[in-house]
Amino acid sequence: MRGSDLRMTTVARAAAIAAQLQEECSILIEHYRKKENFPPDVSDGPLVSVPPPSSQLDTRDKLWRLHSALEQCHSLLERAIAKEEEELGGEEKGEYENRRKTVKERLLFLLNHTRELLRAADGSSIFTPSLDGSELDDPATLFQLKWWVYRIFMEVKYWSQTAIAVLQELQSDTAKTPSKLSKRSARR
Amino acid sequence: MESQPTVERRGCFPFTERASWEGSNIHSVDKIRGWNYWIFPPKSVDTDFLPPQRSPLSFTCLSGCLACCNHSAEDHHIIINRQWTIMPHLPNSPTAKPNYSSVWVAFVLLGISAINTQAKIAITVPQQVSLSANFSTQQLSISWLGGEATTFDLIILRTEFNETVFYDTVSAVLNQDGGQHQWTWTSVEPLECTSLSVKVRSREGKTISEWSEPQILEGRDLPSNSVRSMFPQDRTVPVGANTTFCCIVEEGKDFKSIFYGSTVMNVKRLSRRSYATTAVNQNMSGKSGTNVVCLSNDPSSLTGTVIFVGYPPLLSKFECETRDLIIAECHWEEGRSTNLYRKNAKHYSVNERDCPERQRCTLSQWDGNWTLLAVNPLGQYSLTDSAELSHRVHPVAPVKLTPVAHAWNATVLWEWTYSSYSSLALVCQVELASHNTMLGNFSGVGLRSAVLLDLQPDEEYKVQVRCGSQNNFWKWGDWSKALSFKTKPYVPDAPDVWMWMNRDNTGLVVWKPLTRRQSHGQIVGYKVTLWNSEENEQHTEILSPESKVLPVNLTRWASFSGDNKVIATVIAKNVEGMSQPASVLLRLIDDEPPALAQTVYTSTGFPLSWQHNDNSTCGYLVEWCNALCTRDCPVDWIRLDVGNTNISVQSADFQPGVRYNFSLYGCPSDFPVLTHRWQGYMQELAPSSSIRLEITQQGCDVVLTWEEIPLAGRRGFLLGYNVYISNGSQLTRLANLDLGTRTYIKKGLSVSIHKFTVKAYTSAGEDTGGTASIRLESCDGLILEILASLGMVTLLLATVAYFCYKKRRWVKKAFYPDIPEPKLPGDWFRTQGPLDVKPPPHSMVHIIEKPERDSSKDALVVIPEEEEDDGEGIGDEPVDTDEPQSLRYYNQVVDERPIRPRFPDSSVSSSSSVDSANTDVTYTGIQTSCSSLVFRSDSQCSSEGFQPHTGFSVSSGDRGGGYQPQMQPVALGGNLASPEPLVEPQVVSSGGYKPQSSWLLDSPTETDEKISPPPSLGSPTSVASTQFLLPDSEEHEEERRQPSSSAAAWFTNLLSSAKP
Repeated sequence: MRGSDLRMTTVARAAAIAAQLQEECSILIEHYRKKENFPPDVSDGPLVSVPPPSSQLDTRDKLWRLHSALEQCHSLLERAIAKEEEELGGEEKGEYENRRKTVKERLLFLLNHTRELLRAADGSSIFTPSLDGSELDDPATLFQLKWWVYRIFMEVKYWSQTAIAVLQELQSDTAKTPSKLSKRSARR
Repeated sequence: MESQPTVERRGCFPFTERASWEGSNIHSVDKIRGWNYWIFPPKSVDTDFLPPQRSPLSFTCLSGCLACCNHSAEDHHIIINRQWTIMPHLPNSPTAKPNYSSVWVAFVLLGISAINTQAKIAITVPQQVSLSANFSTQQLSISWLGGEATTFDLIILRTEFNETVFYDTVSAVLNQDGGQHQWTWTSVEPLECTSLSVKVRSREGKTISEWSEPQILEGRDLPSNSVRSMFPQDRTVPVGANTTFCCIVEEGKDFKSIFYGSTVMNVKRLSRRSYATTAVNQNMSGKSGTNVVCLSNDPSSLTGTVIFVGYPPLLSKFECETRDLIIAECHWEEGRSTNLYRKNAKHYSVNERDCPERQRCTLSQWDGNWTLLAVNPLGQYSLTDSAELSHRVHPVAPVKLTPVAHAWNATVLWEWTYSSYSSLALVCQVELASHNTMLGNFSGVGLRSAVLLDLQPDEEYKVQVRCGSQNNFWKWGDWSKALSFKTKPYVPDAPDVWMWMNRDNTGLVVWKPLTRRQSHGQIVGYKVTLWNSEENEQHTEILSPESKVLPVNLTRWASFSGDNKVIATVIAKNVEGMSQPASVLLRLIDDEPPALAQTVYTSTGFPLSWQHNDNSTCGYLVEWCNALCTRDCPVDWIRLDVGNTNISVQSADFQPGVRYNFSLYGCPSDFPVLTHRWQGYMQELAPSSSIRLEITQQGCDVVLTWEEIPLAGRRGFLLGYNVYISNGSQLTRLANLDLGTRTYIKKGLSVSIHKFTVKAYTSAGEDTGGTASIRLESCDGLILEILASLGMVTLLLATVAYFCYKKRRWVKKAFYPDIPEPKLPGDWFRTQGPLDVKPPPHSMVHIIEKPERDSSKDALVVIPEEEEDDGEGIGDEPVDTDEPQSLRYYNQVVDERPIRPRFPDSSVSSSSSVDSANTDVTYTGIQTSCSSLVFRSDSQCSSEGFQPHTGFSVSSGDRGGGYQPQMQPVALGGNLASPEPLVEPQVVSSGGYKPQSSWLLDSPTETDEKISPPPSLGSPTSVASTQFLLPDSEEHEEERRQPSSSAAAWFTNLLSSAKP
C-alpha cells in the first residue's frame, strides 16, 4: 500500500472513530445531565485552550489544533475520573462509570490516530501543550467537580465534532493532493 | 387611637418552642391566647394565633416579627412584616365614666416611669462585644463584658435589610476567667449568606441599658466579593432534616431560581444578592448526592452545592474469631445502609485500631474484648464482643484433597494450612454428591481423612470437606474445593426377567435394561439360555447390550412337548464379569385366563388388590400391556414381595383412551400362576369411531341394527347406545339402550324420510354417531292385498287340481297319449354333428327383455308383420348374440292343431333332433340370447341372468323383468309317467314364457345336457310348433296383484289345445 493510501485509510478510520466518539459522548452527556439534574440550557466557558479558529489556518494547522485540544480533553478526562473516584468512591461500577470509561478509551484511540497523522505530516515528533496538575485548579467543592466533569464531557463532544469536520476536510485534501501534507514544512 | 406601646419586642416566637416574652409578662404562646389584646391589623396572622381582643393593655410588635403556626400540615414560618399595634382596651362607651381613673393611671405611670429612670442609670451597657462564627455548624458565638447584669437582650439583624433574625432576652454564661458573658446562636441559614449585625444590652427586670455598638459578621454578599456562590457546600444531613440554602448571585446579575434536584424551590431574599430556600424533610440523596443549583439570568452563571442525605451508622453482628488460633479476625454487618458513599464518609475502628475495610478488621493478637466504633458525619455507633480463643475457632478449608477409591467405598485424605490444627480436636463434615447429596460427620484430633462407605461401583462422586472445633464448637469452617473421583466397576446385578407367551408356544423373553446403578460398569452384552429341564436341552444366545427381548419359539425344539418346563436364564455382562443369572419359567397358556375385572385409574395409578394365599410363600408379579395387543406384546411388569395384596400401578407410558390389561402372577420366579386379571383406562375418552348403522323397513316399522365398535375405537368402557332421530338440525333422543342391545325398532312413523343416529357412549361421552336414513313407504292395505291374492291363487289352483283330477283320463289322453316308439337305425344320431340350422327370418321370435319396470310399457309390444321384415337384418346375425333381446310376439296366432309330441321318452331326440320324415311339425323359431334352445336352463344361461326363479320376491324388479326359460324340464324330467302336471310352482314363480302344453316332455332331461351333443333346432324339415310363449304376465306388479290371470290364460290355452 502506498503512503497516500495508508494516510487515507488512517484519516478515514480517525473520522469514523471521531463519529463514534461523538455519539458515545452525546449519550454520556445526556446520561450525566439527567443523573445530576443539570439544566440543559446552561453553558460555561471552554476548558481547552487552543488558538482560535481562523480561516488562515491550513489543514495541517487545523489538525495540530485538533490534536492539541484532544490531548487536553484526554488529560482533563483522566483527571476528572480520578477526582470523581477520589471524592465519590470508585468501588461500584455502574452504567455511568462504564460509559465514561468507553468515552475515555475512544478518545485515546482518536488521539493516537491524530498523532499518527501529525507525525506523518511532520515526520518528527510533535509538541503540544500538556495540562499538568499545576496549570489548573482542582474544583474546590463537589458541585464544582460535577460541573467541571460535565463541562469536560461537553468539551470532548465539541472536539469530537470538530475532529469529524477536520478529518473530513483532510480526507478531501488528501484525495486532491496526496503529498501536500508531507511536503509542507512545519511552521511551529 | 394609637397608644404608647408598653412592650417593645422583636423576635421570633415559634409556636412549638413556647417562647416567652418575659418583659411583657407573656410567658408562652399558649398564654398569649389568654391575654386580652387589641391587635391591629388583626387579619395579618393566623386567627388561631390571635389572642382575644379584650385586653386593656397594648404594645407594638415592630416589623420583622417572626411567628410560627401549625395550622396546616407544613410547618411554615410566617414572617409578619406588618406592624402590630396592641391597643389598650378602651371602654365601650368613650364617655361613660369621669376622668378619675385616668388621673390615677397617670400617677401610676409616672411613678413607674420614675423608677425605671432610676434603674437605667444603674445598668451598664455591654462592652467588647465580639463575634465568633462556626460556618460549618452555622453557629455564632457572641461574647461581651456585661458588668453586673445577669440577663441581656440580644438582637441579630440582617445588616443589609435591617431585618430582625433574632431578638430575645437571654441569661448568658459568665466566663469566670475573663469575666465575659457568652451566648451561642444557631442560625437557620448559613452564616455566609449575608452580613449579620449583633447588638446586646443589659437587663435587670424591666430596667434595660442602652444597646451596645453593633458587631457585624460579614457575609459573602459584600460588594467586594462579587463572585457567585452558594451555601452550605457539601453538607451531609440526616434523612428528614430541613436544610436552608442560600445563593449569592454574581454582582450585576439577576437571580432566577433555585432547584433542589429537579424541584424548583420557593425563595426568600436575604439581601441584595443573597437568596435563600429551605428543603424540608429531605429524602435520601443519590449516590453522588443531591445537587442544589442556583440559576441567574446569565446562562453561563451556574452555581450550586451538593447535599448528602443519609443515616448515621448502624451496625450488627460484631464478632471476633480466629482462623489460625493466633490472630483475631473481627467482622460485622451494616444494619442499615447509611447511603453515604463519599470516600472517608465512614470510619471504623476496633479497639481504637483503624479498620480500612468496610466490614472486617484483623488484629494481630487475641485481646479477648473488642469494641467496634463506626463514625460518619451524621453520628457514630459502637458494638462490643468478648470471647476466649478456644471458643471462637473458625477453621480454614482443608486443602489438597486426595481420593483412594474402590468399588464400594473410598477414602478421602486432606491437609491443613496451619500446623496448629494438628492438636485441635476437629469434627469434619464430608459432603458426597452423585445423583443426590449426602453428608457424613467424622471427628478426631487434627483429622486428615475420612472413609466413605456404601458407594456405588463405577460412579462419579464429588466430595468436599469442612471442619469445626469439636470442643466449644463455634461454626463450620470453609468448604474445601470439591474433589471428583470415580469408584471402580463391579459385576452387574441380575436383570429382572419376565416373559410373554403366545398361544402357539412362541413368545418373548424380556428383561429390563440395567440402570447405571445396576450395571456397575459398562454392559457389554447379555447371555440368554433356554433350558428344557426334563430333556436337558438348552439353547444359548449372546445378545448386544442394547437388547432387552429375545423371541422364542418352543415348537422348534425337537424334544419339546406341552408338558416340558422351559426355563429362560438371562445373564448380564460388563467389563468386570457376569451377573448372577435371572431365570423365568416359560409358562404355557393352557387354561382359560381369569375373567377381567375393571380397575379405575386414580392419581396414584391403577389400584389393584387381591386376596393373599396364606400358603403361598412366593411373591407376586403384576404385568400390564395394551389390551389391543394379542401377540408378542411389549409387556411391562413390577415385582412384589410376598404378603402384598395391593398395588397402585403407575407408568409414564400410560396413555388416555388406551385399554390396558393387568395380570397378577403368583410365584413369578418359580412357577408363575395367573391369578387375577384387570383392565382399565388411564382416562376414558369418547369413542373415536362410530357404529355402522343399518336401517330397514319392516311393515310400517323402521328397524335399526348395528354392530359393536371395535376395541381400538372404544377408548373407554362402552356403557350403552343412544338412539336419536333427526329433526332438521336437531337430534331428539328416542332411546337409551344398554350395551347388549344392538337393534331398535321404531314404530308409528309417518310416510316420509326419516334420519336416525345411533351413538355409543362411554363415561367420557358419545361418539360422533352412525347415521342412516330411510324413505318410509306406505304400508296401509299391502298385507291385506297380499293375503287376498294368495287366497285367490290357492282357490284357483285347487279348482284346477280338482278339474284335472276329475278329468285325468281325458288329460292323459289329450296330453300324453301312448305313442309307439319310433324305429330308428342304431346310432346315427350320435354320429351326426350339431345341426346348424338357421331359422328363417320370418320365423324368428325376438324376446324383449325389460330389465326395469316401466309403467308406461307394462305390456309386451306387439310387433307388426312389416316390422318382422325389418328384423331380417337381425336374423342374419348369430342368434346367440349379446344384443338386447326382443320378443316378437304373435299374439293369438294359434294353431288349432293339437300338439303331439313324438318322443316323449327319448333322451337324445331333443327338440332339435326330430326325424323329418316322420313329423310335420314346423319350428317357428324360438331364440334367446344365450342359446338357440328356448328350453335350456344351464349354467351358461344362468350366468347371463336367466337363472330360474324359485321363490317370490317383492323387490326383484331387475331379476324378474327378463324372460325365463320354462321350468318343466327340471320339474318333470323324471316324472314323465305322471299324468298330472305340476304347474303350481311354475305358475307362481315363472317370470318367463311358459309352454302352453307339455311339449317339453319330449325334451331330454337337464341332467343329460352336459353330455348331450349341442342342441339343434331340428332337421331341415322343420317341425311345426304351435306352442305359444306367453308373456311374463305383462308385468310383475300386475302379476302380484292378479296372480290368477296368467294361470287363467294358461288354462284357456290348455283347453283350446285340448280340443279334438
